Order: sequence, then C-alpha cells, then structure tokens
Amino acid sequence: MSEKLKYLSPEWAAEAFRRLKESFASADTPKVSAAMTNRYKNCPDGKDKYYYVSIVNGEVAELETGEGDGPDAEFKIIGDYDVFAMVSRCEISAQKALMGGKFKFKGNLVKGLKLASLADRLNKITSEIPTEF
Amino acid sequence: MSRYLSDKSSPFYIDHPERVKKLQALMREKGIDVYLGSRLRTMSWLTDVFCPWRSYIVIPKEGLPTAFIFVIDAGRVADETWLPEENVLAFAPMGGMDQISIISNFITEECLKGKEGVIGVEAGMGCYLPEGNLTHYEYERFAQELAPCKLVNALDLVDSLQMIKDIGTINRFRHASKIVDFGHERFLKHIQNGGWKGMTETEVAGLCGYYMRQAGSVWEWSFTGGNEIASGYRTGIASCACTPPTDKKLEAGEPLMVDIHAMFKLATGDHSHNYFLGHATPRQLWHAKNFEDIVKETLKTYRAGITPSELSNQMLEFAAKRGFAEYMVPGFEHGIGMLGDEWRIGLNDGPIEYWTNPDHVYRENEMVICAMQYACPEENIGFRYENPILINKNDCEWMSKFPLEIQVIK
Repeated sequence: MSEKLKYLSPEWAAEAFRRLKESFASADTPKVSAAMTNRYKNCPDGKDKYYYVSIVNGEVAELETGEGDGPDAEFKIIGDYDVFAMVSRCEISAQKALMGGKFKFKGNLVKGLKLASLADRLNKITSEIPTEF
Repeated sequence: MSRYLSDKSSPFYIDHPERVKKLQALMREKGIDVYLGSRLRTMSWLTDVFCPWRSYIVIPKEGLPTAFIFVIDAGRVADETWLPEENVLAFAPMGGMDQISIISNFITEECLKGKEGVIGVEAGMGCYLPEGNLTHYEYERFAQELAPCKLVNALDLVDSLQMIKDIGTINRFRHASKIVDFGHERFLKHIQNGGWKGMTETEVAGLCGYYMRQAGSVWEWSFTGGNEIASGYRTGIASCACTPPTDKKLEAGEPLMVDIHAMFKLATGDHSHNYFLGHATPRQLWHAKNFEDIVKETLKTYRAGITPSELSNQMLEFAAKRGFAEYMVPGFEHGIGMLGDEWRIGLNDGPIEYWTNPDHVYRENEMVICAMQYACPEENIGFRYENPILINKNDCEWMSKFPLEIQVIK
C-alpha cells in the first residue's frame, strides 16, 4: 500500500484495525482483555480527538477513532496530538513520553505495566501504516 | 492474600473491614469526608502489609480504602494485603501517575465526585524517623490540587483506634516475642563455654538475627540498627537507650547488652537481655541486682488505671531507697503497635504536642514496651530491659519469657 492515509481518519482506523486483528490472530498473543483510549489534545484542526482499541482474550475486538473524549476505557492516555504523532512515527517511545510527563496516564498502573509490551506492539504495527500527519 | 488474613479461625486474624468502619464512623463524627493516611503505622494497620516505600491510603466516607504504593512495590502489596487488587494502585514518575496527581484525582473524582469536602491528613511530629507524616511539599501540593477542599490534621482518629489492641494483634505480639526468646536461647547456647571470645557486637547482632529468622522473623525491624548490641563502656553511656552495634570486640570482665527485634506479621518483638562476660566484680553484681529488682518491681506495678508519671515516680522512689536512682533513665516504657507505631504512648493529648502525655491513664489491652535503661558511665556499666507488655485490669502480661537474671558467661 503506497497511498498515505490521514492519521486518525476512518480509513486509517479501518486499516489499523485490519492490521492489528491479523497480527494478533497470527502471533502467540496472551489471552488478556483490556481497553485503552488515547485522547489527543491540540489537534491541527483545533478539535480534540480519540483513538480507542479494545482487546478481548488476546484478540483485537474494536478500534475506532473520532472527535471528543471517546469511550471511558480502563486505561486512558492523554496528550498533545504532536506527541502522539511522534510516537506513531516511532520518533519517541510511549514510555519516554510518559516518563517525561508529555503524556498523562489514567488507570491501574500495575496492570498497565503488565500490558506494556502489548501496547508497544500496537504502536509498532500502526506505525507501519503509510500515514499523513 | 495470605491465609491468616481471611481465615477467621486463625489466632492472628484481624477484622480489617471492621477497622475501616470504625474509622469511617469517626470521620463522620469529625466532619471528615476523606482520610488521606501516609504514616507507616496507618499503612500497617489498614493494609496489614509491610510498606517500606512511601505509601498512602485513601479512606472514603463509605466503602473500602485504596492504597497508593510506589510502583516497584505495588504488585507485592496487592498480592499480600486483604484489600482487593483494584484497591491497590501504583504511583510512578509518569505523567498523571506521580503521587500528588493520582491521589488528588482519585479523591476528587472517585471519593468526592467533584464536590468540595474536608480531607483529613497526617501532619504531626514524631521522634520516630520513618513516621511518614506529610512533608511540607506534599502538604502544599495536595492543598493546591485539592482546592477548594480543606485539609485538616486528623491523625488522632487513627491513633485513637490503634490504642486498644484486638486479640489478633495481641497474639501476633505474643508470637513475635516467642521468636525473640528463641533468638536469645540460641544465642546464649552459642556464647557459653567461651563461645563469645573473639566476637564483635555486629557479629552478635547478625547471629541473633539469624536465629530469629530461623524461627520465622521477617525483619530485625528496629531502625536503631536492627539488633542493638553494646558491650563494655557502651552499655553505660549516660542517658543512652540507642546502641546500634559496632565492630567493638567483646572483652572479658565487661557487660554485654543484647537488645534484639523480631517481626511477625507486623507485630514487633523486642527484648533486651544482659550478660557479664568471663567474670564479674561484686560491684558489677550489685549494679545487676539493682537492675533486676527494679525490672521486677516495674512489671509488678503495671496495670490499667496507672499513668506513666505515677509509675515513674514509684520506680524512682524505689531506686532512691536502694541508692541507685542516679543510674536510672527516668522513663519506663515506649509505645508500640503494628510496625510504624513505636514511639508515643496513648494519644496526642499531652501538655507537649505529639509527645507522651505523662498523665495518660492506661486501659486494658493497651500495649507498651516496658523499657528501662540503667547507666553508670563512670564505671563503664549499664543494662537495658525491653519487653512488650499487655496491660490487664490488675496486672500486666510480659510477652518475652526469657529469664531476667544477668548471668556471668564463662
């Protein structure tokens, strides 16, 4: 796929869902269940946006993007659009953004840390989508 | 969760939900909407887990508390406490996850549901270094983040509930004292027939720690060096009741003070025993007899209804009649409870804030460490007694049963 998809657009979300679902189904994914909402502040169009993904028993069950705060998930990450974009381009790690206070995390950190490798995998897969930020 | 935390038939069972309800009843009485605990004694009493790192506990008006633990230890605390896993949260140096942000958000959103309220905090003073009162920075930041909520010092609420010990706590203390006695017995066997020769104070401390660990102690819990060992002149330093061990070698003709500490399910064993090494002079034995007699007299005197000052006066009078009052440090006890509650006796209601009220009237099922220090610096001799005691209606139960007699070890 060479055409670039607009970051967080419905097309980008559909592609992200397809890739994540395939990857999680083919790999030896732990049978965990969790949901996460990323809240994007200061987006280029001036609106707040969200990216929501849920995993049920190790399978990607839902993925959606949109305007506003999005679903009230178990884990929430809140930050500026630019920082999320940098993470999505793998220019900085999500961990560095969190440790540097660029992201705010909400949820049970102990459980969240157990799922950190899964979150890294989500990011890595979506970062491979040709994206226009 | 450990078995003894949920097994009501265990002698060590403590009814934690009941503790929480009693605290919430006091909160209602005092108009406090949320209690933010930060002291080690509060963490121990409410979570029933050793929390060595900075920790906090938030008690809402109703429902279960939530503990906030430094991330490196939160998983273990969640594994060991009686609280459900979701009531143990971690804080870490991450955006929104530092202790001020996560606790403030939790109080505002989960406890107060966005309304204003009164937050009880722990902001007193203590001689005990790991007390855990809020620091100035923490207080200021919480006040800022929780505004317009009002922060009030409310540690008296927890202290008042901790004072009278329940049977599970008492049994844990009894068991911790058994462990300490085992340590003393094994150590005595080790030093008999010249076994002490060549040893240093630090070796004594380590050996006693090893024996107590064999018997199930999880920690030589005292911050005064784990086990406090003194020999020779160090036993008799003026007014000194704190002797972390040194590399001093044990010598013949010297006194040896072995003050050891075991921890069992957050109950703290603490018993000090004294010896002479090799031989003792008649004068040294005179000092020893004085010490033994005043310990016996003190243990005979403790009961519900007496106050620390009455007891001290009676004992100093006893010492004066016998001609050794000048060698007694004029205090006969310190407070004790689950780990972190080690200093003040009774409540913060005395003439000097946060210190023991000398007129505190002992009640049944209070506990203290009966603690006496005999020191004669000019003769390089001293002895220490420490033993957890349970105050009964007409007497007291001393928990460590190791014989008091100061033996001369050949």
